[in-house]
Amino acid sequence: MARDPKHDILFEPIQIGPKTLKNRFYQVPHCIGAGSEKPGFQAYHRGMKAEGGWAACCTEYCSIHPESDDTSRVSARIWDEGDVRNLAAMCDRLHEFGALAGIELWYGGPHAPCMESRATPRGPSQIASDFELNIFPRYMDKDDINTVQQMYVDAALRARDAGFDIIYVYGAHAYLPFQFLSPFYNRRTDEYGGSFENRARFWRESLYKVREAVGDDCAIASRFAVDHLLGSTSIQVGEDGARFVEYCDDLVDLWDLTVGDIAEWGQNAGPSRFFEENHEKPYTGQIKAGNHTNKPVVGVGRITNPDTMVAIIKSGQFDIIGAARPSISDPFLPKKIEEGRLDDIRECIGCNQCISRWEIGGPPMVCTQNATAGEEYRRGWHPEVFHPAANREKSVLVVGAGPAGMECAMVLGKRQMAAVHLIDASREIGGSVNWISQLGHSDGKENLFRGTARGLGEWKRVVNYRQIQLDKLKNVELHTGSRLSADDVLEYGAEIVIVATGCHFATDGMNAATHAPIPGADTSLDWQMTPDEVVLGSKPVGQRVLVLENEAYFMGVSIAQKLAGEGRDVTLVTQAADVADYMHYTLEAPMLHRDLHRLGVDIHTYTMLDRIEPGVCHAYNVWNPAHTHEFEVDTVVLCTARISDDELYRELKADQERLTAEGIEGLYVIGDASAPRMIVDSIFDGHRLAREIDSPNPAMPLPFIRERRLWGDASNEDFRAQLLNTPDVALA
Amino acid sequence: MKVVVPVKQVVVLDDEFELLPDGSGVDPDGIESELNEWDTFSLEAALQLRDAAGDGEVVAITVGDEDAEEGLLAALAKGADRGVRVWHDELQGADALAVARVLAGAVGRESPDLVLCGVQSSDAINSATGIALAGFLSLPHVAVVTGIASDGSALTVERELEGGLVELVRVSLPALLTIQTGINEPRYATLRAIKQARDKPMEVCSPADLGIDSAQLAASIGARRRRLAMPDRGGGAEIIEGSAADVAARIATIVKERMD
Amino acid sequence: MAGILVLAEARRGELRDVSLELITAATELKARAGGELAVALIDATPERYVARLAAAGVDEVLTVRSPVAQFEPHVSARAVEGLIERLRPTLVLAAHSIDALGFVPAVAATGGRGFLSDVTALGWDDGPVAIRGAYGDKLVAEYDFPGKATTLLLLRAGTFAPAAAGDGGGGARVTEVAIELDGVARTEHGGYREVPAGDVDITKADFLLSIGRGVEEKDNIERFEELARRLGATLSVSRPLVDAGWVPGARQVGQSGKTVKPRVYLALGISGAVQHLAGMRTAETIIAVNTDPEAPIFGVAHYGAVIDMFELADELEQALD
Repeated sequence: MARDPKHDILFEPIQIGPKTLKNRFYQVPHCIGAGSEKPGFQAYHRGMKAEGGWAACCTEYCSIHPESDDTSRVSARIWDEGDVRNLAAMCDRLHEFGALAGIELWYGGPHAPCMESRATPRGPSQIASDFELNIFPRYMDKDDINTVQQMYVDAALRARDAGFDIIYVYGAHAYLPFQFLSPFYNRRTDEYGGSFENRARFWRESLYKVREAVGDDCAIASRFAVDHLLGSTSIQVGEDGARFVEYCDDLVDLWDLTVGDIAEWGQNAGPSRFFEENHEKPYTGQIKAGNHTNKPVVGVGRITNPDTMVAIIKSGQFDIIGAARPSISDPFLPKKIEEGRLDDIRECIGCNQCISRWEIGGPPMVCTQNATAGEEYRRGWHPEVFHPAANREKSVLVVGAGPAGMECAMVLGKRQMAAVHLIDASREIGGSVNWISQLGHSDGKENLFRGTARGLGEWKRVVNYRQIQLDKLKNVELHTGSRLSADDVLEYGAEIVIVATGCHFATDGMNAATHAPIPGADTSLDWQMTPDEVVLGSKPVGQRVLVLENEAYFMGVSIAQKLAGEGRDVTLVTQAADVADYMHYTLEAPMLHRDLHRLGVDIHTYTMLDRIEPGVCHAYNVWNPAHTHEFEVDTVVLCTARISDDELYRELKADQERLTAEGIEGLYVIGDASAPRMIVDSIFDGHRLAREIDSPNPAMPLPFIRERRLWGDASNEDFRAQLLNTPDVALA
Repeated sequence: MKVVVPVKQVVVLDDEFELLPDGSGVDPDGIESELNEWDTFSLEAALQLRDAAGDGEVVAITVGDEDAEEGLLAALAKGADRGVRVWHDELQGADALAVARVLAGAVGRESPDLVLCGVQSSDAINSATGIALAGFLSLPHVAVVTGIASDGSALTVERELEGGLVELVRVSLPALLTIQTGINEPRYATLRAIKQARDKPMEVCSPADLGIDSAQLAASIGARRRRLAMPDRGGGAEIIEGSAADVAARIATIVKERMD
Repeated sequence: MAGILVLAEARRGELRDVSLELITAATELKARAGGELAVALIDATPERYVARLAAAGVDEVLTVRSPVAQFEPHVSARAVEGLIERLRPTLVLAAHSIDALGFVPAVAATGGRGFLSDVTALGWDDGPVAIRGAYGDKLVAEYDFPGKATTLLLLRAGTFAPAAAGDGGGGARVTEVAIELDGVARTEHGGYREVPAGDVDITKADFLLSIGRGVEEKDNIERFEELARRLGATLSVSRPLVDAGWVPGARQVGQSGKTVKPRVYLALGISGAVQHLAGMRTAETIIAVNTDPEAPIFGVAHYGAVIDMFELADELEQALD
């Protein structure tokens, strides 16, 4: 199918300095956990997007020197020739597919804790980081300024050698250049502080020096937060934001515009529960609209809809559609638009699981929608290519059409298994996503700083995408409203049986804190309930509600939001230091806390329930159990342990003889039915089994490539060579 | 109870279908096929009546070429006891009445207690084959049935009329009903049943085997298609001009006309 | 004699409006078909409708007295056989209605007559020519009926404007036709039942009022739900409202939601993304209201209006008050 002519504008080339972008799809810099030390991961992840049609792909933030070291979080680094060699692999891979390679040169100042290098970060003023814990920078005198600017230049030269086409002087997210620009960080009284020109001097000089060094060969880009979102204490788009673009427009070939900072960068990488598509428009949209630049502008906002993209370009908001998360969720987004296959687009759901892994520091990026993200090199998975299974003559029964079951059936279908039957007990496929996606919406219109309480509606895209794909697969049959017993499964006639029956919430308060049920907890009583019962409305909820949040992710707080939004008095209790700890990693926590506060939810941390009695919950402080508190309540919601619904699997597994007699050669359990987990991991589990269904033992994951240094290997000689080439390092 | 269920393997056009240059039909490249949705409901109704009666059989009959065997196999997999496929190349392009004429030959020899047809097929949407078949067989008939209760010798059925009205109708057996979607929940076939369907009896015969000659067939055809074309949307919608009140009034009129 | 016979319909004491649409279709063709235009009504008390059926252009109104109080397919079939024998019409026009579908195909089949259902346009080319959808309405096809003395056509309701009903002063002859119908009925009427409203299965709804992003805020949805209820419609939505968590997925029309084929699809504030169109483009009548004249939904709609959905709602509500 050909692309819709109305999308033609997205495929018009555009010039940036000495380089040409072949279309308007641009993967802005984003972290993946590869850096320079997993070159295969880096090259194949970015390369997948190049194959999928993106005109350019960038590295994540790339440290220019050991004194900008973000350990334990993983950045790229271009400190020495070894890094050049490793990052060149990415450039080569991108160039193979006709895409440009971009590198985001980064110096973090006090936001980089230097835990590996043990170096001392430098900064414009000696103010501790509002992002890190207790990290102070060294005040930069004029020598320091020259030294750091030379680091940018040296890094840019190395980047050019590596093959990069686009070189950033990165200042967004409140890293060093922005720290100079913003009075929030910059309290200097010399020619680098005070007036706008003085505060802009460091960034302008750095751009100038980098441009002098590599500007003939490479496009010079700058990533800039047009508004710090801190009001008059920092940069505002209507003031210094637009002014800075004008001031440095002559030194830049491409503006990459964002908002906010790293301390609350969920304002930029907005989660769907608070931000809709193109949410940065009110800020970044002002730059071109106000004629503040003559250079091409790329911007973001989790833009997945091609019609929105066209409107953005036609209205003059941006020239180029930037994407981080949409490019992870679907590396083939441009190609699918080009081919008119809009219904094949795997749209980002805005859950920010990708980001959470970077925030945790270390693990490779993951994606709920795209199980192959991060697995391109180490497992050799391609999001759009599925090899016919060696045992494709087999037929498969998948019991349970939740995230794991849907994904597994879809991939098995694409691997051309003879027949795949996906059966679910409910009327609709999607499992828990169907009710989870109804969570968290209170009123949808209240302003919460910049976002709104939107809820998890977009998470339903997990089901939508798979439903459409499953419908297209002729070898997959989907049957709903059918609960299968062990006998049904045994007599079904499948050679491979995959159990994906999900899990349920504990009914007795069994929890991860005490490893025991809570005395008096019993959701068979009409005034105690599990989260799903609240959402499905299976029981009446009283006016005074206590929600026990023992799950550390979205469930307990979403229930609290819902019930408080409906006008109830909600007390939220957790044994942890904060409710919904994991939502700090997904960048949802700041907005979530604003919403909980707005809704009047009464939060008690470090608090656990001792026992539940009719009308009263007895609680204690976890650091001093003698310190007790009683909550008078009408309803208790127990968001505690989840327990696998694995009876079917256990029953089938127990009767090996019967399995053999019925011709069942393989029996597997995936997703929550194997062990409760996040949706992203359930989908991965289903995908993994289907990818490896023809391996010698599909129940055991195949080993993946680990990018590590082998002791005694010849490559260690290279390692010594790298050290010799590293500046500031003298070896005896 | 012996129930005959005529079924049809219908044509589904994909998003990229194209007309043949001579306008005689659709390029086979753009065509997929599946068992007609309505027939899954009539089949299910038949299986339920057979099972409730405790004896008897369900016979699925189709008029179609070899590709139609897939639909028949699907019916057998779901629980029909045997299948009959009638075909001859001269049936290519046969209309509802001609198909009904052929079906009459195949159904007639079965002397069933009940014939259950789908209200319509999703491709042709004639809504005529079942009642035409009843005409050929002189069977009492009720169209667009949304509920069935049987006492063994007679049925009380519900008929779905326009505007959400249901009529209750009593009819003695033997009879023919056309079945509307939603009357039941069609079962699905297990992988084993799908494999075993191939072992069930399936008879393939021609109209001539049923005593229908070419002249009879030709005489039964109700209409001749002389042109096939892409729909002319006439450059899009008819735009209703005027004030909001004018638009509201016109919309109210259109709705009333269409819903009557 | 040649000519056209229209089969009018009544139910529960009311002449069905489609009867007057059939008269329009017949009068448009009458001159070319030659002969007279007769309108017949088979009913227990057919005289009640005679005056209205004697519309302009109708030459004769035929009444056939049915021995049973309600529609009965076998009675109707025998009556029509009798009328065809008497009039020998070239063309018999009936509605593509549930009742007519219950007997007309049998009349056509057993008599070896011409037949086509769900006809949306008529013409004449040395005999009747009829147009209808093909391949699930994705295509249109034109048919003729060579060698058929009589052809029965079922016309889709709403395709022709209704003729002005007669006022009793028309010039049409009224003839009571005696046809032996006692003992012909083979089914027995057992009463009527109204289907309770409020069903949320949008795939079953005849009339969908569908709203999209234009609704702007969650709080506005209730208003359109109420408007739908008052119009006798079921509320459905496009995906953005489900994405936003405002409406459960069961109400969603589109590729990832439900495919619907109502008689009327009234789309308010829906631009018509391709995935949405896939779920509703085969609705019989699509009316689209959007402030953006370039909205893709106008490409599939039969009727469109470029106005604000809230202004339209104001007017529709006023009319209902």
